[in-house]
Amino acid sequence: MPIPDKIATAKKISELLNAILTAGDFRLRYKITVDPQVGTDREWERPEILVEISGADSPLVLENGGELLRAFEQIASEMLRLAPNEHEKISFDCQNFRSARLQELRLATDVAAERVRKTGIPYAFAPMSSRERRILHLAMRDLDDLRTESDGEAAQRHVVVYPKDYTGKPPAASISRRR
Amino acid sequence: MADSAPNMVALVEILAKAVVEAPDEVTVEPFEEDGQTVLELIVAESDLGRVIGRQGRTARSLRTIVHSASLRTRKRYQLEIVE
Repeated sequence: MPIPDKIATAKKISELLNAILTAGDFRLRYKITVDPQVGTDREWERPEILVEISGADSPLVLENGGELLRAFEQIASEMLRLAPNEHEKISFDCQNFRSARLQELRLATDVAAERVRKTGIPYAFAPMSSRERRILHLAMRDLDDLRTESDGEAAQRHVVVYPKDYTGKPPAASISRRR
Repeated sequence: MADSAPNMVALVEILAKAVVEAPDEVTVEPFEEDGQTVLELIVAESDLGRVIGRQGRTARSLRTIVHSASLRTRKRYQLEIVE
């Protein structure tokens, strides 16, 4: 279900961010766009509200895989009482960090598909957030000869790519920092 | 640049009030301990789950924001959610 009143929602996010940036003395600005036009490279992520953060503290926002960016987004999602599966309706970005990561994931799916086809052995991605796992599943759903599943619990949850008719055990996740 | 500094107590209040059902029951009590400032966050019992969040995600976000803001101060801050 789309966000009922997007203008009111954008206003709420704006008030929250304004208060946070002032109290936290962050050198940041933000721009909120309702129903943003996103490039075709973001076909799996269609936010209804896009919050773009910029300013001198941008490097701080992007540290540790965009930890502060995701923290702002998490607080906004909680304030709006979005269900976990609705979090993608709002998206926070800074210096195109999100689009760059999306591009990275797309390239990773190409490499994984190629490898599984060549070797016949399943390929496990590194652990990822549910939003990123969803992007991987959607990016690979049209490949007739492969299938994807998630394995592992909580912070270790990761996507595995299998040959369609594979029946063996799942492999361990690739070792990499969770984003 | 004008002299300014983060107001850590106000920051935690803003963040907590945004996520809880009972904002009037949010209080933040700072105290000094072992060379750092502990920010004690007290919320209504029924709101504890909200400030912690699924898999502790909201609490982690609160701590990330507090930590990032504290970098501009010369002090160390620790957020404690009172259960």
